[in-house]
Amino acid sequence: MLEYIFRRLLISIPLLFVIAIIGFITMELPQGDYVTRYIAQLEASGQSGARERGAELRRVYRLDDPAYARFVTWISRFVRGDFGDSFYYQKPVKTLISQRLPLTLALTIPCFLISWAIGISLGIFSATHQYSLADNVLTVVAFLGLGLPAFLVALVLIVATWQITGDVYTGLFSAQYANAPWSLVKVADLAKHLVIPVGAVVFSGMAWVMRVMRGNLLDELRVNYVQATRAKGVPERVVIWKHAVRNAFHPLVMALGGVLAWLLSGTAIVEQVIGLPTLGPLFIQATMEQDVYLSGTILILLSSLLVFGNLLADIGLALLDPRIRYD
Amino acid sequence: MTANSITTPRALSQEERRAMLSVRQLMWLRFRRNRLAIAGCAILAVMYLTMLLAGFVAPYSVTTTHERYVSAAPTQLHLVDADGRLQWPPFVYGITSKTDPHTFRKIYTPNPQEVYPIRFFGRGETYHLLGPLQTDIHLYIVDDPGKIFLMGTDRNGRDLFSRIIWGSRISLTVGLVGVLLSLTIGAFLGTVSGYFGGAIDMVVQRAIEVISNIPQIPLWLALAAAVPSNWDPVKVYFGIAVVLSLVTWGGLARQVRGIVLGLRDSDFVIAARYTNCSTFRILSRHLLPNTFSHVLVIATLAIPGMILGETALSFLGLGIRPPLTSWGVLLNEAQQVRVLLQQPWSLIPALFVLATVVSFNFVGDGLRDAADPFSGE
Repeated sequence: MLEYIFRRLLISIPLLFVIAIIGFITMELPQGDYVTRYIAQLEASGQSGARERGAELRRVYRLDDPAYARFVTWISRFVRGDFGDSFYYQKPVKTLISQRLPLTLALTIPCFLISWAIGISLGIFSATHQYSLADNVLTVVAFLGLGLPAFLVALVLIVATWQITGDVYTGLFSAQYANAPWSLVKVADLAKHLVIPVGAVVFSGMAWVMRVMRGNLLDELRVNYVQATRAKGVPERVVIWKHAVRNAFHPLVMALGGVLAWLLSGTAIVEQVIGLPTLGPLFIQATMEQDVYLSGTILILLSSLLVFGNLLADIGLALLDPRIRYD
Repeated sequence: MTANSITTPRALSQEERRAMLSVRQLMWLRFRRNRLAIAGCAILAVMYLTMLLAGFVAPYSVTTTHERYVSAAPTQLHLVDADGRLQWPPFVYGITSKTDPHTFRKIYTPNPQEVYPIRFFGRGETYHLLGPLQTDIHLYIVDDPGKIFLMGTDRNGRDLFSRIIWGSRISLTVGLVGVLLSLTIGAFLGTVSGYFGGAIDMVVQRAIEVISNIPQIPLWLALAAAVPSNWDPVKVYFGIAVVLSLVTWGGLARQVRGIVLGLRDSDFVIAARYTNCSTFRILSRHLLPNTFSHVLVIATLAIPGMILGETALSFLGLGIRPPLTSWGVLLNEAQQVRVLLQQPWSLIPALFVLATVVSFNFVGDGLRDAADPFSGE
């Protein structure tokens, strides 16, 4: 097992290198670059010295070097932990990301825990009560969740809360608390504003987990060993929870590999819709503005988390099911 | 003794009759039993038919603006007139607009003095039906100066229902084109890699690994941002389809590879090899047809993801862009909270996305059960 983990870690180095190349090419694909558009904007607004400023920026960021040369400089700095500066914010990428990381995780970790907890329990309930009224209702709910992306659910929730309460819950705080010192009222205000994004994300996440859990548990309950354990006189509760559910977990454990990356980017469009100062909108804006160091860094950060998460998931699967061996 | 000697064929039992069915008939039986799948098929049939006859179903064209009715709420249909008598066909009232002196927003109130009956198969704007055929007959229309906006209008005074119908031309097809591209790459690489194994398999597997280790939505965003904004509409459309498929071919290739790997050493392939079939013939005549039902299932279940992807990208302004119209483009207007609250009906396109995605999921699930007609019972 240790040898396997070591081998996987070793493979992930060239894997990440190739991903970095692809990421860099993707960032290079759009026509033009940030500085050109920035200078054009300056000139349009009639500021003097725009051309000189442009030439200086181009020199600082080495925009006129050939692409491979820029890639080499970028990646060698990247490895040493220097992610470069954002064009748009004129700040180091590292600072921007670490500023927004806490709130992003504060939003996504509860979302993940709640949606998986609800999804798994409802999935088990659905499977053990197949074709009952509750199962049919849950199936309809699950298909609604699968068919409506979370950002549309968020929009619907915004309209619904506005019609009911008369207040619009977007952003993090109501206007009067935005610059107020921290107090209980402010925390309550924050919590109120987080209900919509959390609700929307949980709804879609839950739907998926529920469908997967239900499908797998149904498959598992048909296998002969379940009948054998029942015939032995094992109580139904033990048959389901100790035997069938444990085996039905496999695909969900596999999916857990993607969760690390999901925590940082999975709710990006919802965050954008609500207007939260989190990583998602930062990445979307960076891709639109061709803020290449910022978007490139986030893309590679996410990919590394995905590679690492998949490794963890494989290890977890081996722990869950002793039949699985990696040699 | 004469007539009775010929034994009349006894009626076949249910099981015997079933044993005589071909695999295709068994699949059809299995699929037909799944009510949700049939319902999904029906909904999709209606939607695609509407898409083909967009000009006929939509009362107005995609660009027709009604300047006097900006951000107007959905027009109410009436069946009972002022005297309490039942009317057929249904009718709508004329709309009078007033400007609110405080907010400067237009307020629209129905005017019971003006009554416009709906005219089915009435004449309105001319359009091209199915290519060259030019006509001006619409499914429903009201006579000028009456207006009918079943789902309200947008900020430019364009009828939302008409735009949804016209927009389905992109929303309903971009997923199909994307899946077709994705399947072509995925099925080809998957088959080749599963059949030959060795170095080719190694290379394809690593390529899939790279693709699947880049998070999907960020990669979609980054690639969609690379579609130049000055491209003409047709190019943008195919550009987005390519972006959608580039990100998803890996999963399809992996599944096809698994199927081919399972069939590679089966007796009929070995027999084909011994009878000196060429590799191309084995792949095209023996392996690919056997993967067909599974590939169809995989493809059907991949379409909803693509439709949602297009919607999300266009919603953010990175996918399909005006002057093209898709459901995502229509939803883009609802992104601004102010607009969203003023005209909540701008969320209606989401219902069409929902119906399409859910229907494809139903059909895909039904096909999956049908593809394996010998399992369970």
